[in-house]
Amino acid sequence: MLKIEIDGKMVETRKGSMVIEAAQQAGIYIPHFCYHKKLSIAANCRMCLVEVEKAPKPLPACATPATDGMKVHTHSEMAVKAQKGVMEFLLINHPLDCPICDQGGECQLQDLAVGYGGGESRYQEGKRVVMHKDIGALVSTEEMTRCIHCTRCVRFGQEIAGVMELGMAFRGENAEIMSFVNSTVDSELSGNMIDLCPVGALTSKPFRYTARSWELSRRKSVSPHDGLGSNLAVHTKDNKVARVVPIENEALNECWLSDKDRFSYEGLNAPERLAKPMLKQDGKWLEVEWQAALEYVANGLRQIKNSAGAEHVGALATPHSTLEELALLQKLMRGMGSNNVDFRLRQSDFSADGKRYGVPNLGMSVADLNTRDRFLLVGSFLRKDHPLLAQRIRAAVKNGAQASIVHSASDELLMPVAHTAIVAPGELVNELAQVLKALATIKQTALSAEAQSATVSVVVAPGAQAIAQSLSSGERVAVLLGNFAQQHPQATQLALLAANIASLSNASFGYLGEAANSVGGYVAGAVPKDGGLNAAQMLAQPRKAYLLLNVEAELDTHDAQQAMAAMQGADMVVAMSAYKHHATQYADVLLPIAPFSETSGTFINTEGRVQSFKGAVRPLGEARPAWKVLRVLGNLLDVPGFEYETSEAVRDEMLTGYSSARLNNALNGVALQPISVATHNGLQRVSDVPIYSSDALVRRAASLQKTRDAQTPVVSMHSSELAKLGVQSGDTVKVTQGNASVRLHVSANDRQPVGTARVAAGHAATAALGAMFGTINVERA
Amino acid sequence: MEKIKFYFKTFLLVELLKGLALTGRYLFARKITVQFPEEKTPQGYRFRGLHAQRRYANGEERCIGCKLCEAVCPALAIKIEVAEREDGTRRTTQYDIDLTKCIFCGFCEESCPVDAIVETRIFEYHGEKKGDLYYTKPMLLAVGDKHEAQIARDRADDAKYR
Repeated sequence: MLKIEIDGKMVETRKGSMVIEAAQQAGIYIPHFCYHKKLSIAANCRMCLVEVEKAPKPLPACATPATDGMKVHTHSEMAVKAQKGVMEFLLINHPLDCPICDQGGECQLQDLAVGYGGGESRYQEGKRVVMHKDIGALVSTEEMTRCIHCTRCVRFGQEIAGVMELGMAFRGENAEIMSFVNSTVDSELSGNMIDLCPVGALTSKPFRYTARSWELSRRKSVSPHDGLGSNLAVHTKDNKVARVVPIENEALNECWLSDKDRFSYEGLNAPERLAKPMLKQDGKWLEVEWQAALEYVANGLRQIKNSAGAEHVGALATPHSTLEELALLQKLMRGMGSNNVDFRLRQSDFSADGKRYGVPNLGMSVADLNTRDRFLLVGSFLRKDHPLLAQRIRAAVKNGAQASIVHSASDELLMPVAHTAIVAPGELVNELAQVLKALATIKQTALSAEAQSATVSVVVAPGAQAIAQSLSSGERVAVLLGNFAQQHPQATQLALLAANIASLSNASFGYLGEAANSVGGYVAGAVPKDGGLNAAQMLAQPRKAYLLLNVEAELDTHDAQQAMAAMQGADMVVAMSAYKHHATQYADVLLPIAPFSETSGTFINTEGRVQSFKGAVRPLGEARPAWKVLRVLGNLLDVPGFEYETSEAVRDEMLTGYSSARLNNALNGVALQPISVATHNGLQRVSDVPIYSSDALVRRAASLQKTRDAQTPVVSMHSSELAKLGVQSGDTVKVTQGNASVRLHVSANDRQPVGTARVAAGHAATAALGAMFGTINVERA
Repeated sequence: MEKIKFYFKTFLLVELLKGLALTGRYLFARKITVQFPEEKTPQGYRFRGLHAQRRYANGEERCIGCKLCEAVCPALAIKIEVAEREDGTRRTTQYDIDLTKCIFCGFCEESCPVDAIVETRIFEYHGEKKGDLYYTKPMLLAVGDKHEAQIARDRADDAKYR
């Protein structure tokens, strides 16, 4: 520790820290633009000049390391003069028309110009003008003239997002921030540049000119999308969500937010929002009162229960529903006598059900990811499924960690990957077994008898050997299963192998939670027990009635074809949704429920952190929080124990006895199956859920849907497969699965394993197709 | 002595005559009563009456929708909505002043960076219904268009004191 004196205050600071950090510790503010605690030091704005005793000139506080006994003056005559001079230079080219700038009112330059600048400009000459460029649907560069060249956006791209999409071109007065020729900024973290920009040069395109910062009310909330549970500040105006910005939480999202979390709010104000309960009568949809709709639902359910039995009712919910909603849904079903309730709609392998020691989770804290030195990522579209977890792993890799990938698609992760094994989905288990076998050999540890016999015919390939080598050399290893591995038809086998690899390499083993409440769903008990049917069974063995919570049957399920058939064949489908969606084709009742911004609720993130939030705005029209709807349904059906007054009461009941001890990834009584080389006829489907198709909210966020990531999916195949079909990249092909086919463009991707065709799920263009895994037929159109 | 003075004052009605003298003075002096509406009191160029929105000489509206007037208004009488116009400029889609709320403090005019919202010399306006005094953007622009010459003159007169 060093001792330095800033403005007469003694500060103790760690060795190697800069003067600006020491000042921050002492609560002394030094004006700055280019300095940001999460980015590298550039020292190019010169705003933080301070006087250091014995130094002949003022020094930049952000780039001057603190030394023992240093005496710094931030408000001395020399410092103030320097700061004022720098401000005058910064304002030479910066337009002084703050009233038309979107940043006005929340602009660092505006604030500091008032605090440290002169009262009037002496500059009479012409100012420079920078033409704006279109860099995509999210970030506006309309006011690039305002740029003060702090290069925060450039450094963010290089250091955090992993890709330098903005750069500074030209020199001197001609220097300007731009993207590469005619290219857009496509990073899934691009919105953070808006927050980072200290002036109005990079602003939010969807938010542009809609409100002033002082008009907005700020409400705390939690992201309803990926498993991270980023902390959000929802800014509202006139009972509408105007924008979303991050709340700093070092343990979760740090100071970042993925574009999905940031811009999905547009979906909250989408025209498809359902504002009144609707009933289908004689094939026509009628708007009805809540009372009529709920009584219709209660009567319908009671009839089916009495005539066919309660087990003919099934409830499906998305893992984006809150803990309270999932809890009341399962309580309602169990109260009616049915055990058919599930929230894991995209999973296909449920053989671990009933054999878990606890709730599957990340197996470590999110912040812990940064400290790992070896990663094994199994079946994960990491960047698109978990943008900010990817960012943490990227940071760890930057610090010397090695990441190895076992997957069926080789997407760019924007970080150096140590070893990859990209195989067809059918060989994923074999590949992982190879890693296990190789690791056992390297570690000279005998495998358990079960693993020994299961892997006896496994031949270790060099790729798996390299991965095992990398894992064995680490001290803090993490083995993580991604969404793809969890949705895989052999997910349990993959989990067992991963757990074995983890125990051999002394690693933490965990699941990257697919959605905001993937852990919460288990805690709420929204999984089948005692002979109830799981999500796949409920659709494979059609039920007479379905209760859908937030579900869009053709987009949120593992097998869209099967799901649609089940829905269309059912006597009654009750769709609780914030949107008027495709359910109008198969449902009998649409109940408008409130999305996350309009209800109180709780999400339990992938590391098991419980985060409750309150509604930011009133529900739209007659929409009501789903927990209230379920509560009334429970009363109407005379289910005991539905006397909740608040969502907190539901939460507290669910969380009594909940602690991190309930989080456990271990399995009990599931055996490893003997692994052999899989033979597969025809093409195997590899399907991801595109980042902006993952849930109902993002699917309706207009700006996100204009990004490159939201383009209509194409069939991506190895060029040798294309040659076999006799088609070229860009041609239209007919993709058939089950009894339906769709026409899609095809693109050659030689990183895709031979024998596979990548066709995204969760998108309207592919919703007619069947299961996310399995055989798929591609032919010339 | 005092008593005698008082005695004579009382009998000679001195106070009464003093008072009547004042009345008489006013009776013959020049009248200051203004016969409104035939006659009007003179107004200063800083008079704060009915609001107006101004335009530039080329017909372009001045207001850029910065919302400073809305923010500064102590009576919360101003309501503004802003959107991007086709040409990419920041413009108001709604600019309403509720004159029944307005206290005519002139802060909106003071805060305006482009002299778009001004208070004119007009004070003789009325509404027959409550809603009539809710002025919308076209109404304010119409006031501005009609009185632009006077408004411009008043701003020019005031400019040297700013």
